[in-house]
Formats: sequence, structure tokens, C-alpha cells
Amino acid sequence: MREMINGIIGGFKILISLDKEVYEIIFLSLYVSLTSTLLATLVSVPLGIFIGTKKFIFKNAVVRFIYTMMSLPPVIVGLIVFLFISRKGPFGQLGLVFTPTAMIIAQFILVSPIIVGTLYTASKEKGADIKRVAKTLGANKTQTLILLIKELRFSICTGIISGFGRAISEVGAVMIVGGNIKGHTRVMTTTIAMLRNMGDYENAIAIGIVLLILSFVINSFLYHFQ
Amino acid sequence: MELQIKQLIKNYENKLTLNIKDLIIPSSTFLGIIGPNGAGKSTLAKIIATLENATSGEILYNSNPFTPQLLNDMTLVFQKPYLLRTTVYNNIAYPLTLRKIDGKEINKRVCEILEEMDIVNLKDQKAWTLSGGEAQKVALARGLIFQPSLLILDEFTANIDPSSMMVLEKTIKRFYTKYSPTIIMVTHNLQQARRLCSHVAFINKGEIEEFGEINEVIFNSKNTATKNFISGEIVL
Ligand SMILES: Nc1ncnc2c1ncn2[C@@H]1O[C@H](COP(=O)(O)OP(=O)(O)OP(=O)(O)O)[C@@H](O)[C@H]1O
Ligand SMILES: [Mg+2]
Repeated sequence: MREMINGIIGGFKILISLDKEVYEIIFLSLYVSLTSTLLATLVSVPLGIFIGTKKFIFKNAVVRFIYTMMSLPPVIVGLIVFLFISRKGPFGQLGLVFTPTAMIIAQFILVSPIIVGTLYTASKEKGADIKRVAKTLGANKTQTLILLIKELRFSICTGIISGFGRAISEVGAVMIVGGNIKGHTRVMTTTIAMLRNMGDYENAIAIGIVLLILSFVINSFLYHFQ
Repeated sequence: MELQIKQLIKNYENKLTLNIKDLIIPSSTFLGIIGPNGAGKSTLAKIIATLENATSGEILYNSNPFTPQLLNDMTLVFQKPYLLRTTVYNNIAYPLTLRKIDGKEINKRVCEILEEMDIVNLKDQKAWTLSGGEAQKVALARGLIFQPSLLILDEFTANIDPSSMMVLEKTIKRFYTKYSPTIIMVTHNLQQARRLCSHVAFINKGEIEEFGEINEVIFNSKNTATKNFISGEIVL
């Protein structure tokens, strides 16, 4: 229990300490998770709307696949991405292994199904109505897509919030493809896992608190944006 | 807008729903469509509005096949309208913003129609907080604001109280007098058809059994199905 309390106090201390190493870790976490969520949003919002509002063959299979992907364990995703980008893998020449880019790729794969799934559900329910209204009022294709995005903005925000939550909090994938290299690929969650291994519970909790505070700030921002 | 319907057939999973041989609706007709439940009235309305595809046959708009530009000039108002998740004002302004009309003009036109329909008080209300009747007024205002020359109404006053119904009818009437559009109105209310329409078509089992001037069809119909339907309605 004492570790908890000291950790909480330590968390605030860390935030105001201006310790360069800590800030690098925080910054990298944010950079990786925000980038992956942003990229996933750009791809997944239109994709989710497409799946939700269009008819095509194997649609049911695609939907089931996405739902399965939503609960895919991060370690598995990490492992698969690792196999693809490792030196002997098909994309080995790109030299992505143990880089922030690799972490972004892995998180992109984790986040996308969540946003696609959220948008699929929302647009399946309301998409036909929205498209119909757009058409009866004279909207062209682009205007219809804009209207869909506007009308589904709550679901888009929900998808982004859940997706970002998954990205910033996962440790398995970034650990495997990033390797928790100090000053290079070390992020908050991998730091916590490492500190725990070292028996440094106070600092582990402190970083955990920082993670929580940052999530809170970013979610508040997104929520406000709705 | 003049409409020409030719050999129009609609099947839903091999079930023949609509079969219209030949129908010309001259420009500026106010056509009522009546008929029993499941006759195919809504299906016809949706096909004309191109929200649904016909299985075969075609519809000519002013003697031309459909082109996407036509969507700028026609609209369909449903019984249960979908209003955008924004204010009443923005809902009504939406078709004008699509047409890149400038803000001042939009404001002027929206305020005009709000006054006409006596819903100025709803101007800044969120659309999802409206009652059914209020929502229907907003949906109609939104459909009329860009002055379509083809207006399709599908049971747009079902579940609306009499006084709101009068407002909606008055608005439509005024719109019709002012711009002489073609109006196609699906209705179960024969009295409403008599109050508004110039012509009426009776649809039964997907076929047009009768088409003509409203009083001709209602009072001098030779068709048994029509007569039965009408006498049943009039008693009500
Ligand atoms: N998407 C669909 N799939 C299968 N059948 C349909 C579909 N839409 C309509 N139908 C069928 O087509 C027939 C005509 O339906 P429609 O909605 O046009 O009737 P309606 O004349 O508008 O009836 P109502 O007076 O009850 O509104 C009905 O038998 C209906 O079950
Ligand atoms: Mg109907």
C-alpha cells in the first residue's frame, strides 16, 4: 500500500520534474499512439462506413473478421508484425525492427479494427437514412460522404477514444516490435513492465499515474470535440 | 416537371410488387396516390425519387432519362423524416448550403419559411428534441426551401394532429400555387386528397386501376375495386 501512495506522489513529481529521460518516454508514447490512431482513423472511418452502408459479397465474413480482430491480443499482433519486419522476414530490408515506425505499424493494426467496427455498427444503423436524406436534398457523392461523417461524429469520436485507449495502454506489441530500447523505443507501458521486473514498484506506479493523467487529458479533449 | 412512366416493373425477390404499364403525369399535376396497404404506393414513390431501382421499365423526367442533376430539382418527404443532428435552422438551411447559396440569402429564405409555417420559435432548437409534428414541419420546410419542381410526399401527415396537418397542407398549397411544381402525394386520407389534389391514381396490387381528375375518380368511378376502396374510406 505504501508503494501505491508513494507512487501517486511520485507520479506528480515526475510530471513536474522535467527529467529529460522521462519526458522522452512520455513523448514517444504519445507520438506512437497518436500517430497510429490518426492513421487508423483516416483509413478506418471511410472503411467502416463503406462496410456499414454497402452490399458486397462475403460481407458477413468481413464483419466477423473485424470483430475478431477487435479482440486480438497485442502480443500476437506484435509477433506477426515482428515476423514480417524482422531481418529474415519479407520486409526485412526496410530495417524497421526495433524502431518507433514498427511500433506505429503494430498499433495501427490494433486500433483500426476498433474504429472500423464502431463505424460499421453506427453506419449500419443510421447510414441508409443519412444517405437517403442526402440524396433527396440534392447532395452529390462528396457532400453525402461529408454528411455521413458529420452525422456519425459521435461514433467517430467514440471509435477514436477506444482506439487510442487500446494503443496507449498496450504493452505486448510495442515490446515485441520495439524492444524497449532506452532512448529509442522505450514507452510508458514498456517502462512500467521493466520497472516491475526490477522491483521498482514506486516508479512503476508513478509512470502509471502519468499515463492515466495523459489519457484523461486527451480523452477530455476528444470528448469536448464531439 | 413532367413524368412519363413506361412498363415499370418492380419485383422483390420474385414477388411482383409494381407493374405500371403507362402513365403520364403532366407538369404541374397535383397527383394523389391512394390504395390499400401493401399496394406498392411507397415503392412507386421511392422509384420515382430514385431511392429504389426498378426491376425493368423506365421513367422519363421532362422526356429525358434520369440524370444526377435532377436530384437538385426534386425531393421526397417521408412519414418519418430523418433530421440532421443539428438545429432546426441548420436542417432547413442544409439544401441551400449544398447549392452554395450565400449566407444572407439562406438566412432570408429560412426565416421566411419558418414564419410561413409558424415555427419561428423552433429556430434554434435541436432537431432531436422536436415532437413528431414539429419534426414533420421541419422536414417539409427543408424539402420546399430549394423549390423543387417535383415534390413527392409519402403519408407525410400520418400521426399528425389536425391543426398541424392544416399547417402542413396550407404550406403545400401555397407552395403549389406559387411555383406550380408537380406533386405526388401518397395518402390514406381521401379527404386530404380532395382538399389538395387535382388528380388521383388508385393503385391496387401494384397496378394502377384508375387515374383521372379527382372528382371523376371519387364520384364516377366504374372500377369495382376503386369503388369499394372509396366507399370504405368515405364511411370512415
Ligand atoms: N425491401 C423490401 N423487400 C421485400 N419486400 C418489400 C420491400 N419493400 C416493400 N416490399 C413489399 O412490397 C409491397 C408494397 O410495399 P409498399 O411499401 O410499396 O406498400 P404501400 O402501398 O406503401 O403500403 P402502405 O399503405 O402500408 O404504406 C409490400 O407487399 C411489401 O411487403
Ligand atoms: Mg407506404
